Amino acid sequence: MKSLSKIMATLAMLFIFTACEAQIKNEKKENVKIYGNCDMCKSTIEKAGNIKKIAKVEWNKDTKMASIAYDQKATNLDEILKRIALAGYDSDTFRAPDDAYAKLPECCQYDRAVKTTAKTEMAHTGHSGHTAAATRQQEQNQLKAVFDNYFDVKDALVKTEGKLASDKAKGLVKAINAVKMNELKMEEHNVWMKVLNELKEDAEHVSETTDAEHQRDHFITLSKSIYELLKVSKYEVPVYYQFCPMANDGKGANWLSKENAVKNPYYGSQMLTCGKTVETIK
Amino acid sequence: MDIKNYNPAKFLLLLVMLTAGSVQAQKVVRYDLYVKDTLVNYAGKEKRAIAVNGQIPMPTLTFTEGDIAEIVVHNQLKESTSLHWHGVFLPNKEDGVPFLTQEPIAPGAVYTYRFPIIQNGTHWYHSHSGLQEQIGMYGNFVMKKREDDKTFRKGIDDLPTVPIVLSEWTNLNPDNVDRMLHNANDWAAIKKGATQSYVEAIREGHFKTKIKNEWKRMLAMDVSDVYYDKILINGANSTDLKSVDGKQLKAGDKVRLRISNGGASSYFWLRYAGGKITVVASDGNDVEPVEVDRLIIAVSETYDVVVTIPEEGLSYEFLATTEDRTQSASYFIGNGVKQLISPLPRLKYFEGMKMMNDMMKMDGNLDDMGMSMSLNQMDMNVVMYPEITGDAKQKDTKQKTDHSQHGMNMGEDPNRYNANALGDIVTLNYAMLKSPHNTVLPKEAPVKELKFTLTGNMNRYVWSMDNKVLSETDKIPVKKGEVLRITIYNNSMMRHPMHLHGFDFRIINGKGENAPLKNVMDVMPMETNTIEFLANEEGDWFFHCHILYHMMAGMNRVFAVGDYDNPLLPNKEKAYKMLQEESNMPHFMAQNDFATNGNDGEAMFQNARWSLGTEWRLGYNDMHGYEVETHLGRYIGKMQWLMPFIGFDWRYRRMGEDEHEKNIFGQKNKKDSRSAVSLGFMYTLPMLVNFQAEVYHDGIARLQLMREDIPISKRLRAGFMANTDLEYMVDLRYVLNKNMGIRTHYDSDMGFGVGFVLNY
Repeated sequence: MKSLSKIMATLAMLFIFTACEAQIKNEKKENVKIYGNCDMCKSTIEKAGNIKKIAKVEWNKDTKMASIAYDQKATNLDEILKRIALAGYDSDTFRAPDDAYAKLPECCQYDRAVKTTAKTEMAHTGHSGHTAAATRQQEQNQLKAVFDNYFDVKDALVKTEGKLASDKAKGLVKAINAVKMNELKMEEHNVWMKVLNELKEDAEHVSETTDAEHQRDHFITLSKSIYELLKVSKYEVPVYYQFCPMANDGKGANWLSKENAVKNPYYGSQMLTCGKTVETIK
Repeated sequence: MDIKNYNPAKFLLLLVMLTAGSVQAQKVVRYDLYVKDTLVNYAGKEKRAIAVNGQIPMPTLTFTEGDIAEIVVHNQLKESTSLHWHGVFLPNKEDGVPFLTQEPIAPGAVYTYRFPIIQNGTHWYHSHSGLQEQIGMYGNFVMKKREDDKTFRKGIDDLPTVPIVLSEWTNLNPDNVDRMLHNANDWAAIKKGATQSYVEAIREGHFKTKIKNEWKRMLAMDVSDVYYDKILINGANSTDLKSVDGKQLKAGDKVRLRISNGGASSYFWLRYAGGKITVVASDGNDVEPVEVDRLIIAVSETYDVVVTIPEEGLSYEFLATTEDRTQSASYFIGNGVKQLISPLPRLKYFEGMKMMNDMMKMDGNLDDMGMSMSLNQMDMNVVMYPEITGDAKQKDTKQKTDHSQHGMNMGEDPNRYNANALGDIVTLNYAMLKSPHNTVLPKEAPVKELKFTLTGNMNRYVWSMDNKVLSETDKIPVKKGEVLRITIYNNSMMRHPMHLHGFDFRIINGKGENAPLKNVMDVMPMETNTIEFLANEEGDWFFHCHILYHMMAGMNRVFAVGDYDNPLLPNKEKAYKMLQEESNMPHFMAQNDFATNGNDGEAMFQNARWSLGTEWRLGYNDMHGYEVETHLGRYIGKMQWLMPFIGFDWRYRRMGEDEHEKNIFGQKNKKDSRSAVSLGFMYTLPMLVNFQAEVYHDGIARLQLMREDIPISKRLRAGFMANTDLEYMVDLRYVLNKNMGIRTHYDSDMGFGVGFVLNY
């Protein structure tokens, strides 16, 4: 009997837990301006701000004013506005991180009250950087495009993104086909002739599948060919020849990277930092 | 926060004393510290804390190199206390370790520390008594350079400076936290959403990973063990820094933050919304300035960093986030709208689990697969960091949203990933630290080489060095004037911030003569690092893991340099025994299921090696019977999978006709009432199944398999038991909170039952 009453007590407690109504205690209401555009913004803002029984946000897209009701013993206005800002929406207290703002859908990219030069600068260098690189590429060593595309494939494999690797490999195949052999330097020409068939084959294989594991098999030999090319050609920055003892079923495999820090393309996030630099090509 | 019991009169008195102190000619700088119990409300509940001079953290103590420090401690607590000057060079008797360098400061006593300041830099101080550091007893200890110092760096040492101390707050009593850790209570994991249960594993496609993990006898992996309710920077979760020394901050201003990690067990990621962070010193020692995007500050480390305010009209968030990324605290630097930095994304726990599976050998040792790891350069945890290794599941959305600020077609942007590609985030590691000075030790000094392997296991929360806790080792004798070169290998699953009292050591990091000086070195799992220092100051110096709960578990050593006669400790042997005892205190746990078919429960006293436990099954009538089993055992080996024990069983039961009276071996036991003494052992099998074998004095043998706490879902735990007496039990338990649960089970003796579980 004793135990029965305990069970009843427990069940009763459970019932009380679930039966509570969602009403805010110690309520305080404030009206605050939050920058935004549309109905989509409205739902994001309110979702970010609301906490059951503690905070309730209602935002008006025309006036940009939010009426915020909250339990003043459990939270405060800053906490709520901070959550909203972290979702991408500025207020007069908080400015959203640029990356959070950037992640908003296009229709929600409202006009920000405080613009920073840092951000626009970044965007500028971003754009000009691309175009500059593109023009320079043509004047420079024509193998550079091959190397660049190789590094893109490698970066995709580091992230284990088979589809992306395949896309990048298509670029690599294009770059390989675009090389005008007779314009290469003597030494480059010799190596190019030697590796061309295999290089092309590996690149094509990588581009034809989206299975990262299969791509990695070809990436082993692909890296060897590129390594030989890089040894005779020159790249604009030092390139690191790196080695992971575990890859290729324990036989080990190499790859090339523009950074000394190891980012293993054979295992992705599983073994990201496995390996070491065995040679620096300058 | 509101602090009660704060007496303004005392504060005035302190001010008077301070001024009096600084006027004196000998440059004695005196501080009076009143240590007192207080009540605080950091996280929704009023809880006990310790305040010094009415504040948390303790006041920043500031000196200039060449001063004499005189610090008077007024212990107004009901318990003893002590203060340790972390990273400060001083005579051993001023070091502040109770039972090692002094007697504890008794309740009501007034105690004076007095020592000359012979160095400069950012340091801190804290209680070295029990778990007092967790509840408020930490503060900054800043020793300024003299302006005529040859090492004075213009543009760094003359910047506006702010002392910062990081800490964490839990609404739980820290003694309880300690106990729960030892009892593998996974409430902290539930709170953090880090249970890593089977349901979660299946949902994320990591069922095999989870099985392999349990096969290798590992509990859910995490980067930290304690759940905290609030993170504090200088005692507040969010602070605005609008001016320094009365001067308003404006665009272009640089601010130097002297940051100490006064947290008891948390590592913090430090990031700044206003751009790069320039690291200019670590553990109070200058380093060549190095620019990083972020750094992790280990427990008890200090870093001096310089940040710049890039623009007018904004104030920039300096964010300290716990390594497990569940909590953070903000410090806004500048005037204006608060520019936030995005929080660190949630850890990919199952990726971490997979990584640990690959690294863990069946015997519990770690295998670095031939990679030589050191100096925090290879962070295996990076597999769990979405900001570096990509999101776990949402690849598609990621491609869509990244860089949409450029407003161009994503598919064709060749640098689509470069902006946050790997390597774009520069994280500080020890290999990047370089001292501006030659730090080479005298060549003629004899060298003593020592090797330590950091050991421990999560299941019983035993942390040790070379598989020995402090209570199992003597002091390590060192000749005065010797160079100690210590190689540390971490063979445990957690990282350990190893701290040496009284000295700075060189970290051998490839910078040759300019190896950086520190007094704390974080050692990640599988890393091997080497440090060296000249033992030229006599005394007993503590060397330990600075995670408070690891230190309390016995992960400590003492270097006894020279033959030091400590006037404060007339009986050093006895004092050392006390110290050993304190670091291996028994932990109590108890649990009972009040069920419809009886009471099921257990109670245990355990320390690092020994376990005294008793289990009971008490029915409500004679038919179901009453049974109590008591075991006294000792855990063997580093992983503590084996425990031989002696046992005593008592039971009473009136046999019914359907009851088994024979066991699987055909041995009969006819008595209704039985008392028996047994010898046996328990062994943890893969999948964390406990195998128990015992033989009773009357020749009856019993084998048993048991598994408790199988994490089915976030809050659901299952268990089973079967033995050769043909008894069996299966159960399911739903965790309500850290002390309560609802359990249903079926027991071969007592049948089906539903109950309410209380555990302590």
